[in-house]
Amino acid sequence: MIRRLPYRPEILIPVVALGVMVVAFLCTPLFNGHALSSFDLFNTFQGLTQLGLLTLGLGLTMVAGEFDLSVVGTYALGGMIAVRTGQSLPFLGVLAAVAAGAAIGAVQGGLIARLRISSLVVTLATYIALLGATSAMSGGLDVTYTNSAATLWLDRPVAVIFSVPSLITLVAFAIAAVIFGGTRLGREIRAVGGDRRASRVAGVRVDRTLVGLFTASGTLAGLGGALFSYSYATANPNPGFQPLILATVGCLVGGVSLAGGRGLPAGLLAGALSVALLRQIDAVTAIPDYFTELLYAALLGIIVAIDAPGLRRGLDRLRAHALTTRLRDRHQ
Amino acid sequence: MTTANNDNRSAAAAAGDALARPAEPGVPAPGTAGRVPRGALAGWRPDALDIGIVVVVLAVIVAGALTTRFFSLANARAILASSAWVGITAIGATVVMIAGSAVSLAVSQTATVAAMIFFETQQLGLLLAIVLTLLAGVAITALQGAVIGYWAANPIVLTIAAGFAIDGVAIWISGGTTVYPKVTAFNGLNATPLGLPLAVYVLLGLTVGAEWFLRRTTAGRQMYLLGENPAAARAAGLPVARVTVSAWAFFGACIALTGIFLAAFNTIANSSVGGTLSLDAIAAVLVGGTAIGGGKGSALRTLGGAVLISAISDLLLLRGFSTGIQLLVKGILVLLVVIAVHVRSARGRR
Repeated sequence: MIRRLPYRPEILIPVVALGVMVVAFLCTPLFNGHALSSFDLFNTFQGLTQLGLLTLGLGLTMVAGEFDLSVVGTYALGGMIAVRTGQSLPFLGVLAAVAAGAAIGAVQGGLIARLRISSLVVTLATYIALLGATSAMSGGLDVTYTNSAATLWLDRPVAVIFSVPSLITLVAFAIAAVIFGGTRLGREIRAVGGDRRASRVAGVRVDRTLVGLFTASGTLAGLGGALFSYSYATANPNPGFQPLILATVGCLVGGVSLAGGRGLPAGLLAGALSVALLRQIDAVTAIPDYFTELLYAALLGIIVAIDAPGLRRGLDRLRAHALTTRLRDRHQ
Repeated sequence: MTTANNDNRSAAAAAGDALARPAEPGVPAPGTAGRVPRGALAGWRPDALDIGIVVVVLAVIVAGALTTRFFSLANARAILASSAWVGITAIGATVVMIAGSAVSLAVSQTATVAAMIFFETQQLGLLLAIVLTLLAGVAITALQGAVIGYWAANPIVLTIAAGFAIDGVAIWISGGTTVYPKVTAFNGLNATPLGLPLAVYVLLGLTVGAEWFLRRTTAGRQMYLLGENPAAARAAGLPVARVTVSAWAFFGACIALTGIFLAAFNTIANSSVGGTLSLDAIAAVLVGGTAIGGGKGSALRTLGGAVLISAISDLLLLRGFSTGIQLLVKGILVLLVVIAVHVRSARGRR
């Protein structure tokens, strides 16, 4: 019992999510009594920077049917490396963080593609190792970034609502969108996630695509970590799973499925922007921390349950059952 | 893309858990469906993995001999004690992984909540407090197992969310404060009969029990089948969801048990009691050679993994390395073992 859906979920889901969040955002003055200003929008885009690059990296691997758990480790390590090496030359720090992220991603991608090993377990082990490496680099403590000129430059508004980091984030999404929309690689990524064996048979360069994707997700996570720690003037050796949760919510709300084969960079941007708006809303309405934590967890839990193939199978079975009952009734 | 696509998916992915499948969807490994996992030593032939493990153990022994106080009774006790906490949880995690549900990342939070519940219920009597804590652990974890078993939700992402939710609820209810026990009857759990902490005996008992259950009972064999080939298990009429839920329920009891021992040892329960238990337990199971995709593994090997990791951490600690380095070494060791296990099972298939 398979019925074609009348819409494309990778477009519908992010459009609905973003629409709901924009309406909710516009309604915030009703709760806290303060009119919205361009500064709220600026803050939203700052929030987008924090999780946008992570969402994009994670989302790209999810489209290909993999899950890069290590992005949150690379994110922490990137921040730490950037702060450690970029005190006097910020650009050098970013470069070092990006290079480390790319190298980590390439090694993981190579293992996953060549050995055909589950990305989950490779990235989990890498995550543990990266957490250790970051903690070892900092002695387990927060490290302050003392180059306040760089921090101020990064947090300076550009064109009222943007900043250099948020523009970098948008450029990354634009590049991904061009690759997805206009190149063979974009189609191959979705093919790899949709049916890997068929795409291998059809001559898709599966291994190379996977290595490239994991390199990309490592690079983006390293860059994201570097920009975040510069912007906050501190590097946290263990950010926990919260960035990963937010990025995963961003991906799933962005129309990507955990099963792979579905998703677009524009959708991912809408998903990340939805989460950024949600965070901005909960910042201005001053909800207690544990409650936001609960909110994100519940959101992710519900989305994952809905995304689960078993639930869909169950619904299909119910629908099929209803149909057969109806047919039987008609025949009698 | 549409739902039509999802129906093309492989057997493994269709049974849920698209991420913990073998990396090649659509290729059911030939000949693996009916293969019976062998006993720990039956038909043992040394290969890269075994040699690697022996090399690591030898390296630990040599480095230990060069480190003062490593080979002492007190240190052996410390290693066993620290492996006991992680080990108890890891035994539960082994069963879940064998049954094909990969791992849980909500362990630390569940153990923390268990510790808090244990102390909050102290005045009801030690036995009742233990029973209630175990029930709470079973309920929390089996609920996640139900979503995974019945709906085939992705275990990793689901448990990350669950961990955050548990943490949030715990802070909501406790107000983020430390829980102090009103009665100190729990001190009995810190007893050290024959010089070893009680938790070590519990770990040994649990390991033997779990190993017997996995190898000798029908329910245990069903878990191997479910992990090895979910589609075959479903086709064979196995109550897939129920088997999954019972594996998670057992896991929950193990986590709660760890929480109880952690609470008794720390004499207080706060949000940091659980520590890095999630990752430590996963590391112990994986270093023990249990396959993340399910269907292969044993409780005994997990015990070995827990003790090995504990010994390495202890060695690094004695040599003055930070917790960061310890974690780094753990991660690299896990990665190497995982690759070795995978290469071995892939070769077995060809």
